[in-house]
Formats: sequence, structure tokens, C-alpha cells
Amino acid sequence: MKARFNGLSVVKILIYAFFGLFLLIPLLAVFLISFTNEPVNIIGSFTDPAILSSSIEKLKAINLDNYRQIFSNAGYLDSLKNSLSLALVVMVLVILICIPLAYGIARTNMPFKKTISALCTIPLIIPTFISAYAFIIMFGRAGWVTHFYELLGGDGMLINPYSMTGIVLVQVFFFFPYALWPLVAAFKISDVTLEEASLNLGAKNWFTFIFVTFPLAIPGIISSALLIFTVSFSDFGTPIVLAPKDLNLMVVEAYREISGFFNWGGAAILTVIMIIVAAFFFWLQHILTKGKNYGSVSGKPKQQKMVTNKVLTRSLSVYSFLIVLVPLLALLSVLLQSVATTWGKDLLPSGYTLKHYQTIFSTSLGNIQNSVILAIGALVLSVIIAIFVSYFVVRQNSAKMDFMTSIPLVVPGIAFGIALIQTFNVAPLQLTGTAILLIIAYTIRRLPYMVRSTMGAMRAIKQDIEEAAINLGATPLTAAITVIGPLLLPGIAAGSVLVFITVIKETSISILLAPPEWAPMSLAIFQNILRAEYYSAAAMSVILVALVLVLQGLANYIGKKQRL
Amino acid sequence: MGSVIIEKMTKQFGEFTALHDINLEIQEGEFFALLGPSGCGKTTTMRCIAGFEQPTSGKIKIGEKEVEKIPANRRNCGMVFQSYALFPHMNVFDNVAYSLNIKQLNASNPVKQLGIYARLLSKRLGRTPKDIQEKVMKILKYVELDQHADRLTSELSGGQQQRVALARALVMEPAVLLMDEPLSNLDQKLRHSMRNTIRTIQQDLGITTIFVTHDQEEAMSMADRVAVMDKGNIVQIGTPTELYSNPLTPFIADFVGTSNIIDVEIVEQINGTIKLKGDNFLLQSTNTIEKKQAKAIIRPEHIQVLPYDTDVNKEEVNVLEGIVLMSTYLGPTVRYDMKVGDQEIIVDTTYSSGISIFEEGRKVKLSIDHGRVLLI
Ligand SMILES: Nc1ncnc2c1ncn2[C@@H]1O[C@H](COP(=O)(O)OP(=O)(O)OP(=O)(O)O)[C@@H](O)[C@H]1O
Ligand SMILES: [Mg+2]
Repeated sequence: MKARFNGLSVVKILIYAFFGLFLLIPLLAVFLISFTNEPVNIIGSFTDPAILSSSIEKLKAINLDNYRQIFSNAGYLDSLKNSLSLALVVMVLVILICIPLAYGIARTNMPFKKTISALCTIPLIIPTFISAYAFIIMFGRAGWVTHFYELLGGDGMLINPYSMTGIVLVQVFFFFPYALWPLVAAFKISDVTLEEASLNLGAKNWFTFIFVTFPLAIPGIISSALLIFTVSFSDFGTPIVLAPKDLNLMVVEAYREISGFFNWGGAAILTVIMIIVAAFFFWLQHILTKGKNYGSVSGKPKQQKMVTNKVLTRSLSVYSFLIVLVPLLALLSVLLQSVATTWGKDLLPSGYTLKHYQTIFSTSLGNIQNSVILAIGALVLSVIIAIFVSYFVVRQNSAKMDFMTSIPLVVPGIAFGIALIQTFNVAPLQLTGTAILLIIAYTIRRLPYMVRSTMGAMRAIKQDIEEAAINLGATPLTAAITVIGPLLLPGIAAGSVLVFITVIKETSISILLAPPEWAPMSLAIFQNILRAEYYSAAAMSVILVALVLVLQGLANYIGKKQRL
Repeated sequence: MGSVIIEKMTKQFGEFTALHDINLEIQEGEFFALLGPSGCGKTTTMRCIAGFEQPTSGKIKIGEKEVEKIPANRRNCGMVFQSYALFPHMNVFDNVAYSLNIKQLNASNPVKQLGIYARLLSKRLGRTPKDIQEKVMKILKYVELDQHADRLTSELSGGQQQRVALARALVMEPAVLLMDEPLSNLDQKLRHSMRNTIRTIQQDLGITTIFVTHDQEEAMSMADRVAVMDKGNIVQIGTPTELYSNPLTPFIADFVGTSNIIDVEIVEQINGTIKLKGDNFLLQSTNTIEKKQAKAIIRPEHIQVLPYDTDVNKEEVNVLEGIVLMSTYLGPTVRYDMKVGDQEIIVDTTYSSGISIFEEGRKVKLSIDHGRVLLI
């Protein structure tokens, strides 16, 4: 075949260039800086010989001092240890909590199953720094739980939210749905015939569960556990709000190095380590789940007998309610705080008002507007890129493109933000502090979701459908508009909503990269929390969550329509 | 309408040559089948004609016109895809109307085009013009689908989907109709009735048709002429009867119907009769061959089985002794696996009540006309 140089190949080059410039070069830069301990201007090196020679000088001075420092600098080593143990504890707790819950949803007729399942989505719509903040409202010195605890005769706080325990609890109660649904799927596909055989042989239910059902679900459990590990390790929102001064965590440490001390080398080395750890666990999870697609199997459930034992289903139901109660109460606490005149150390606010919302609509409308504009910007950019990327991956089997656009999945947000700052804070491409860089960062970070969504839709369109249109007289463009487009639309719509939601929820990138005039809602809430302006933080959080809820509803609606 | 001529067409995928120097001449109005085993290049040939692949070298002419420079969307070849490739987001009517709408689109000015695009994307944004409606309904009636015009294609049975695909290709009045294994997704019974449907429509419209299949029965029963392909080459072109009675190679003999293919040595030639020696048995043939070693082709149904004590004393008939290894009852025929000398031979006999089946181990006589022993 002749290699044709057409419009499409130009687009392909542009996409590679985009990712090279805004993902690969920044990552490379952090990597280099972690050795040189000084900023290296890679882009400048291409345009300015003077910068090039200074870069070369710096690269000559490469040393491992920084890496030795990890072991000498107690702070770094501590932060790594703390972050790893945080992730480990959260991982174990989430799995322990989720197993009965997943079993209840997947295999029993427990009462209120639908309600419980619906409540389990609450944690997913709340950004973690708002959850963390909700925990302060509940468990803080002036929290209503604390008050309640004292009423019952307790002394001091039940749990100090500003502690490792506080961080663990927030993450456990707000990350468990990530593990729940894969686990439900794993329990659903467990081989029912084996279980029935075991029961037929006279085995008791619990025996069957421990020796047949549970072992069959183990691959699913391990993979969910690894996912939780990565999510907890990369989470920025919870630690930044709750970590006390004396608790070092990698994400917080890296943030402080870059935004507090401008310590390039330190930030870079923390970033590199974070990426390596996250990538390693992501990779581990990937090889474990390879070839096992729980989602698609569960689409065609075999006839399964549901456990109906009353004692078991009722206790599972009560248990599940207790689990989902925590996020629900957290959300309600934020809601109450947002309409409270004052809420001291008491079970309920002393009075109610809409004043905080008025304040927001008079002074902070800009933040909402910024969020929406930035999200739309990222959305448009990712739709365009994702359509082409999925075309190249699906129709031209471009594995390189597939790989490259999946890289952002393993890079923790804070790490990506630091990489971008270090690359774009100097000429010739000084973009730090512009809305453009912010939009690009959001886009790259969330593109994998968009690509998956469009790629799925693109895969479902067989090549011969496109050819049939052409055979019937349509030009490739007409075929794209009248056949491919309409068939791709549901995938694009679903992906768009997801991108929009995640951008609005995005914390780390916003906090690191957003300039004051482009501060989105998440940054505004964060700053309010830092300034202890809790009431307006609450009101803004409610608006953010409401926005996410509306969009999520839209996504569900589209999804349902698509399945019809 | 038009003829299709392919001259010295070669197609390579990288290093791999999928088609070697193909030559084909398909007459106007002919029903032409491309027959061959999987991977022999049938689909590739068809895709080259339709314009989805560019031949590496060679020429294709449709209706006397060279098509190399004509892109796939302007070749006017109606194609019926193996998977039907119906548009899942359109109903039966819109699927069939598609090519007519596109024709109108291509003939309109940009402003009108916008309107047509809008109409194609959403029914609410415009109505299909009367003339298109009439044409579509006419062809739908023709394939007996006018009752189902409003259905989504996913709500149709396999045979109905097949007819939508056919109608969609026919409505554009293509110069050639290309069909790539159109019946392979249907069950046995439906396949038989669709064979008749397709053949009837083709005869009715007199449309030049190229039909790809790897099912020899399909090709033989439907086509005017058949080209047998193997590993990217065309091995033989002919009418079904020609292929059957005069296969040029053992491959064709085997592929087109069942054959006994027997290695033989030529002993002598006298007066147009050739004496042959097989594996511990002798044969005579009135066909000619120049080689010393040859293959004798004998169709199973050209062999007669007789009780061992029968006296056959006819000129021009081979009489062989055989032992029944196995007999299989296939409804109207009985198939025997026989041992003749050290050679195994298949024999098909028509079964009619009253004739007893020879049991296994029985010694029998076989008679074969000299003329039925083909030599390759
Ligand atoms: N795009 C391609 N790239 C590389 N090789 C190809 C391509 N298309 C076809 N081939 C090869 O060319 C050969 C012929 O393929 P073709 O699809 O024409 O076979 P076919 O006769 O239609 O077989 P079937 O009966 O299985 O459909 C096969 O060996 C196939 O692997
Ligand atoms: Mg084929």
C-alpha cells in the first residue's frame, strides 16, 4: 500500500505533538530535575542555544545526591512510608467492608437493595476535599458527632479528623464504591453450578461461601484492592485538608516543596517516586485483570439463585445501611452547614438562612462561571482529540497511540501538576498561570475516560458499515456525518458528561495551576476552608455537588436511552 | 448495466501476494460465481472491483470503462456484505433510501445539502421526497418487505435482513451487483429459498452479478459460470457442467463435487483406449493423456455396484472386484467405501426400495464406463 499523506496523517502528527509537548516533555523534565536538582528548560533548549548550553551543563552535573537524600532526609523517607501505609490500610479496610456489601448486592435478596445501591454512589459525586471537610464538620472539635459523643459521656473527640485515622476513615468511606462494583461483578460471575454442587453434597451455606464462592471471587478482590491502593496513594484532596503538620504524606510534601519552598529538586524527586509507585500498582492490577472482563460477563447473567435466608439478608441490609450512612451524613452535614446561621458545638444549627448562598451569588459567581468555562474548554478539546485517537486506535490499530493516551491514568494529579509547572514556567512557552494550560492539563488528565467511551462506540461500528455507506455513493465525509457520527454520538455524550464532572471535581490540578482570575469552584472552596470560612465553603460545595448530580443524572439518562 | 473485465490483476499486502495475475471476463447480465476455499482471495477480488482496495497492478473495467481513478463511492457497484452491514440507527425504509438520498445530496447546491443532511440525521427535520419514497417502496414490495418498512433492522430475521441488504444495493440500479457470501449467515433451509430468490431477481433485472462463495453447491446451482480460485489464482472458469465433467486439476475435481482421485501409471495406448495400472488393479479409459504418471478421476456416482456373481460382458466397461468396507445410508443414495486392489474408492448408488444394500465385508463387482475415467 502506498503511504498516503492526507489530512488524517496530519491530525495524527498533531496529536502526538500535543501529547509530546504537554505530557511526555513535562514528565521527562521532572525526571531530569530529580537528578540535576535545578530547573531544566527542555523546550527552551530547542529554541535558544544559550539555554541549550546551560541545560547541557546542568545535565553534566547529574548526580544521585537527591536520591541519596531520600534516605538521609527523614522527611522524604517518612512521607513515602506514611503514604504507603495509608494506602495499605485503606486498601485492606475497603476490601473488608466491601465483601459483605458486595455479596449482599450480588447474591442475596436483602431488603432495600436498590436504595442501598443508589446510596453507594454518593461518595463518587463528592470531591475528596469536600468529604474531608465534611468530616471536620462532623468530628471536629465543634462537630456535632463530638457533641453527641460528649452527651453520651465521652471525653474529647471521638476521632480526631486531623490525623492519620481521620484521613484513613475519609478515604475508606469515600473510595469504597470504586471496589464495590467490581466486587459485585466478581460475585455475580462466580460459578453457580459449582456452588450448587457443593450445596447438593450437603455443605452448609457458610461452608459453600468460604470454600467455593469466596475463592472464585479472589481475582476480582485482588484487582479491586490494587485499584484502591492506587487511588488512595494518589489522592490529594483528603490529606491536604486533614494532614496535621507533623504527618508527612508524599502528596502534601510535594505540594509544599513546590508551592511553599520552590524546591525544584525535592518536588521532582517526590513526583518521580509517586509516579513510579502509582504506575507499578496500576501495572500490577492491569496484568492481573488481563483477559478477565468482569463487566462484560455480568451483562448476561446466568440464572442465579439468590440467598433468601431472613437472618442473613436482614443483618446484611442493616450493615450496608450503616456503611452508606457515613457518606450520607457527611453530605447532609455540609448541606446543613450551608444553610446555618451559626452551628457551634451542637447537634443542629442555631438557625437557618440562605445568606451564604446569596453571598456566593453576589461575590463568587465568577468561580462557578470559571468552572463551567474551563470544563467546557476541556470537554471540547477532549472530544475532538478522543474521536481521532479512537479512530486511530480502532481503525488503524495504533497501539502507540493507545499507550500514550493511557499514560495519564497512572500519573497522580499532583505529580502531573508539578511536571507542568516545572516545564511551562519559563519562556519560550510560559503558560503557567494561564487558563490555556489549565484546560490542557484537565484535558490530558481526563482524556483516558473520554477515549474509552468513544473507543467503545467506535469498536461497535464495524468497518463494513462505513464501507457500505461509501459503496452506496457517500463520500467518506458524508459517511462520517450520516452514519459514523450518529452511531458514535451516545459514546461521545456519555464520555463528555464524565469529563465535565471530573473536571469540576478536580482538586490537585486546580489548586496547583489555577491563577486567581481563573479560580474554579474547587479552588475557591479549598481557599475558604483554609481561611476557615466554613459556611461559604459549604454553600459552594453544595452547588458543586448539585451540579455534578444533575450531570450524573443526565449521563444515566443517556446511558439508559443508549441501551434501549 | 455492464460487463466486468479484469486484466492481469495482482494484489499484494506487504510481502504477501493475495492475488496473482487474475484474468476475468464477465458478460453483461451474467450471474458469475467466484468459488474457492477460505483465504483464496475471493473477497479481495471483490473489494478491488468495488474500489475498497487498489490492485497492486493490472486493470479493472466496468462497462468498458477503466475504474482505477474512480473512487469507491462513484463506482456504482452495489455490494451486499457478508454481515449485511445494515445501518443500525435507521429503519428498513431509510436503509434502502440511503443511496437515493445521497444521490440527491451530491446533485444539490451547498444550501440544499444542509437540508438533506438535517433530514438524514433526524426524521423530524424533513420529509423524504415523493420520488424517492416511491422507488423505495417499489423495491421493498419486490423483496416482500413493504410491510416492515418502519421496523428497525435489528428487529428483522436473518433472511429479512438479507433482503434489506439486497434491496438497498438494488435500488441504486448498480452497474454490477457484488455479493460476498451473502447466504453464509443463514440456516440451511433459508439458504435454499434465498438461492431461488436471488437467482430469480437477478434473472428478472438482468443485472450483472458477481457472487462469492465457498460452497460449491451454491455456486453450481445458481451461477451461469463459475471461476474456481485457489491461493490467489484462478484455476478454471466454466459453466457448472463443464467444471463438473471436465475438471482441469485434481483440486477442482475434488472441490467441485466429490471425486475418487487415483494415482495411475499408463501401461499402453491402443486405438484411443488407454490401459492404466493402479494399486493392484487395472483400468481402461477412453480419454487421452500424454504423461506416464497420471491421476484418474472417477465420480462416485459413475460407478455401479453389482452382486459378485453378475456377468458383465460389455465392451468399454471396466469391471473390478471390490470389497465393501462400509456403507452409509444418505437418504436417496447409499455411499459405499470400497477396497479395490489396495485402493480405497467411494461409490454412490441411488437407493430405491427393493434393492438390498451390500453389507460390510461382502465381495462385489464394480463397473465403470471407460469414458467416465477422466485423466489429468
Ligand atoms: N488487509 C489485508 N492485509 C493483509 N492480508 C490480507 C488483507 N486482506 C486479506 N488478506 C489476506 O489475503 C488472503 C485472501 O483473503 P480474502 O479475504 O480475499 O479471502 P477469501 O477468499 O475471501 O476467504 P473467505 O472465504 O475466508 O472469506 C488471505 O490470506 C488474507 O489473509
Ligand atoms: Mg471472504
